[in-house]
Amino acid sequence: MPKIKISIVILILVIIFLVSLCLGPRVINPLSLDDLEKEIMLSIRLPRFVVAVLMGMALGASGAVLQGILRNPLADPYILGISSGASLTAAFGLISGSYFLGKYTIPLTAFIGAAIVSMIVSAFGWKRGGLWPERLLLAGVGLSFLFQAVLMLLISTSTDEGMRRAVLWIFGDLSIADWSLIPYGFVLVILGLGISISRSKALNALILGDEFAHSLGFSVYKERVLLFLSVVLMTSASVSLGGIIGFIGLLMPHIVRFFIGSDNRFLIPASALCGGAFLCVADLIGKLIMPPAEIPSGIITAIIGSPYFLYLLRRKDVLNL
Amino acid sequence: MSSTYNHTILQLDNVTFQYPSDKTFITHLTFSVGNGEFIGLLGANGSGKSTILKLASGIFKPSEGSVRLWGKPLHFYKNKDRAKLLCYLPQLLDINVPFTVREVVSMGLYPYDIHPEMSADEAIEIVGLKEKSGSYITNLSGGERRRTFIAMTLLQGAGLLLLDEPLANLDIKYQIEILRLLGELKEKKNISIIMALHDINIALQFEKVMLIKDGKILGAGNPGIVLTKDLLKEAFDVNIAVKKNDSGGAYISYGNNF
Repeated sequence: MPKIKISIVILILVIIFLVSLCLGPRVINPLSLDDLEKEIMLSIRLPRFVVAVLMGMALGASGAVLQGILRNPLADPYILGISSGASLTAAFGLISGSYFLGKYTIPLTAFIGAAIVSMIVSAFGWKRGGLWPERLLLAGVGLSFLFQAVLMLLISTSTDEGMRRAVLWIFGDLSIADWSLIPYGFVLVILGLGISISRSKALNALILGDEFAHSLGFSVYKERVLLFLSVVLMTSASVSLGGIIGFIGLLMPHIVRFFIGSDNRFLIPASALCGGAFLCVADLIGKLIMPPAEIPSGIITAIIGSPYFLYLLRRKDVLNL
Repeated sequence: MSSTYNHTILQLDNVTFQYPSDKTFITHLTFSVGNGEFIGLLGANGSGKSTILKLASGIFKPSEGSVRLWGKPLHFYKNKDRAKLLCYLPQLLDINVPFTVREVVSMGLYPYDIHPEMSADEAIEIVGLKEKSGSYITNLSGGERRRTFIAMTLLQGAGLLLLDEPLANLDIKYQIEILRLLGELKEKKNISIIMALHDINIALQFEKVMLIKDGKILGAGNPGIVLTKDLLKEAFDVNIAVKKNDSGGAYISYGNNF
């Protein structure tokens, strides 16, 4: 049954793909393209769609994985401080105007920040030869506060233009998407997704508890490190592709759980697909709602997603919060 | 101790274990479990029953001594191979993710690529949860939850079951049912079981008990012989005695404790 539902999501994703290519400030008929329209398609809409799908997939899947390994329904990819660390380093690059690596400045600084913070968080979470969920969580929350404070300090002391760019980026700005970022983002997201899906049985067992996971034949510490690595890969890639987009990582796994259950063998791929599809729709709405201005996708995802989630919460009594 | 059995399945030899930042808890513990033995591990709270089961299952590693499964050191086994031979059911079943009963029970098949014998639905039926196989485990009572995990254990199909207080929170009906079921399994498949418990009346139903205090074995053997007034006093720090009723059954006399 979950396989049928996942197939339906893939179909919906294809439809969204076609619609988001056609719609925008200029409506394009894909069957009769002139040169300008071809250029818009290939240089603007297609890369933006791919970035939205990759980010949404990364956030949805890593949210599902983190809620499992931390055994906490409130976990999301940003709770470990990875994204706030990435934001800090990237915003520092943006605000200081030091485009020392050209267009790669933002993604690269963000990725470096994410990687460094992952190492710091795992160092704090490491004890007696393994990663401990509670320690990871508390270290992540603590570091997040610190990074956010420094980020706010940077923004509040910067010039207006720098601040506007930083704020836009922090709320998830897909307008910077172009083909140059996609290959490495694609590799990281697919790698992270591959690891997490291949470890999904272990994740199910870890949710029952470490002792169950051991009894069912999994190496608890190894599995947790692999799953954490998958989250780091996906979150870092996502933050560096388009900033921070809220809601998807936290709530998409819960929404998907309402429909297909908690088995991570289905939950992870379905959260990834739904996350990708949802971010595409949010981006499309952000572009269309008051052209030529664009509303950052992070705002749209939260405005649409949160009420829907609350509606589901009222209707279906499965969330054990 | 296991002379009436063909093979020793599990052998703990001179095992010493220490919790981090704590004094040594278990010192030089030695015992073995034979093929088809059903042993009750009896002791007060904090006596070391769970620790012994965790050492036997490889969750804890002894600082000295060895744990052998079928004659081979436990840590030499690959995780999946060990899981096919040995299954540990923890005492605490604290799960906050809404898995269905069937999803949880099916996890018993994880060590296997293809499972030959029992299906998840059969295991669920055995523990009397057929009607609830689609229910969320988070919505079940404590006893139903425990039966769900016992079904998972059955499905895992290991020849040695290490069960930590599997009868806790169960109605008397299901206590009897689970004990009967495990007894049947032992007879049919010759599996070995060690079950931690602290209910002496239940321990009296076993053919063999090990009485534990402070990580040491006070006595092991037939409950009629082991559970003397003096040893029970030492293990539980209370004056109680095992009495026989008219029909030959044994029960606990609380004496003048009330």
